[in-house]
Amino acid sequence: MLKKLLKYDLKYMIRNMSVFYILAIFFAIITRLLSLLDQSVMIGILTKISSGCVIAMIANIIINAMMRSWLRFRDSLYKDEAYLTHTLPVTKNDLYNSKLLQTLIFFFIGFIIVLLTLFIAYYTKDTWHTIKEYIKTITTGFNMSTAFFIIMAIVVIFLELFNAIQCGFLGIILGYRKNNARLGFSVLYGFITYLIAQTLVLGLVFIYGLFDPTVMELFKTATINIDVNAFKVLAVITSVLYLVIIFTMSIICKRILSKGVNIE
Amino acid sequence: MSNMELLEIKNLNKKYDKKYVLKDVDLKITSGKIIGLLGKNGAGKTTLIKLINDLLTPTSGEIFVKGNNIGVESKKVISYLPERTYLNKQMKVSEVIDYFKDFYENFDDNKAKKLLKDLDLDINQNLSKMSKGMQEKVQLVLVMSRKADLYILDEPLGGVDPATRDYILDTILSNFNENASVIISTHLISDIERILDEVIFIDKGKIVLQSDTDELRTKENASIDEIFRRMFKC
Repeated sequence: MLKKLLKYDLKYMIRNMSVFYILAIFFAIITRLLSLLDQSVMIGILTKISSGCVIAMIANIIINAMMRSWLRFRDSLYKDEAYLTHTLPVTKNDLYNSKLLQTLIFFFIGFIIVLLTLFIAYYTKDTWHTIKEYIKTITTGFNMSTAFFIIMAIVVIFLELFNAIQCGFLGIILGYRKNNARLGFSVLYGFITYLIAQTLVLGLVFIYGLFDPTVMELFKTATINIDVNAFKVLAVITSVLYLVIIFTMSIICKRILSKGVNIE
Repeated sequence: MSNMELLEIKNLNKKYDKKYVLKDVDLKITSGKIIGLLGKNGAGKTTLIKLINDLLTPTSGEIFVKGNNIGVESKKVISYLPERTYLNKQMKVSEVIDYFKDFYENFDDNKAKKLLKDLDLDINQNLSKMSKGMQEKVQLVLVMSRKADLYILDEPLGGVDPATRDYILDTILSNFNENASVIISTHLISDIERILDEVIFIDKGKIVLQSDTDELRTKENASIDEIFRRMFKC
């Protein structure tokens, strides 16, 4: 049943997000085409406008994916559509997992579209060279491979977004257990959950720092002059902690959801 | 529990904050009957129905459908029509049919298509472009196209003209599974009285009467509508 639920959740997201993907790529192509023309003042202005649209669409893809995921979660599980969702012969776990997987898939698709958009709009040998040099400077400074840096950066960004999404889900689940002001409580609980998750990560890194002086330096010095290994350890520890928090939060969400809902 | 009992409710309570909306409800429903769940507005009909459909969580008490607690198994055999439109408006009617076919093993898509055709409803039309009345008809068709054991229809006649009411009742009568039971919640008693085998009167969150319709009529020498009016006179 999870497959079927996911199929319809993905269809919903495609229906609502594809227009932004198309617009992002459209403006990227326009930006690219304009950059190929002789740069008069007018063409320069048009290029900047088009480039602004590309950036706006990229921001839109990320923000919209998050907002749509929360909206879909709320509408499907607590608004009118819930009358169908909760009467389907599926478990609450499947309902939750489907929403979570849908979000993960759309973050991934969004990430690919953002890369593609940037590539179409701005790729030149020079910009590619500049980016490579920039990454090389960072990775050499921290004595790590480029692959490790890129993978860790992507993993941390994904986990952070995923954590934020799930805080929103938990906020909605808790907020809609109330009899009044459900939306307000959802936002409040989501925000509190996010703060708790961030504080927990920071607290656990601090505890780890008690046993590793190089990591503890992060809490003592204002300058980013930390040990190279500490940076690597920090990236790995943070990722693992995020994974644990995401997993734990998902269990909490499913437990509360399986205790039942109260649809207005 | 007897094998004949399709639905059994034991000591069911539901309260919001400190106010009980259902109190000590005990109920047994057997197969093959059309049952009217009758009561004034706010009597607790919809609350009871929502509890049976897992849309509300009981404060205490138990609900069994064919011996199973409310869950995946009970949802396989209950076909529920809520009093509101619940379909995703972005979908076409044909997509909703596919949706029901995907999730309910007992859904007959050919029957649904036939009923929609009888109602002059276009399966390629988007739900957002349909009136509320048309959407309600689509929902009724979807619910009645399942070969369920228990149909629960919450206010299926609410807000429709008398001619459509007759059509809806005919659709219900001619499409439900022979061995199944139908619970119809309404306060439009005179419209459905003719089709009821059994009535349940609910008032202030309590079941005040459950009886065979013919027996009740004979005993009180009055129609169900008259008995209801007498019983719940303001």
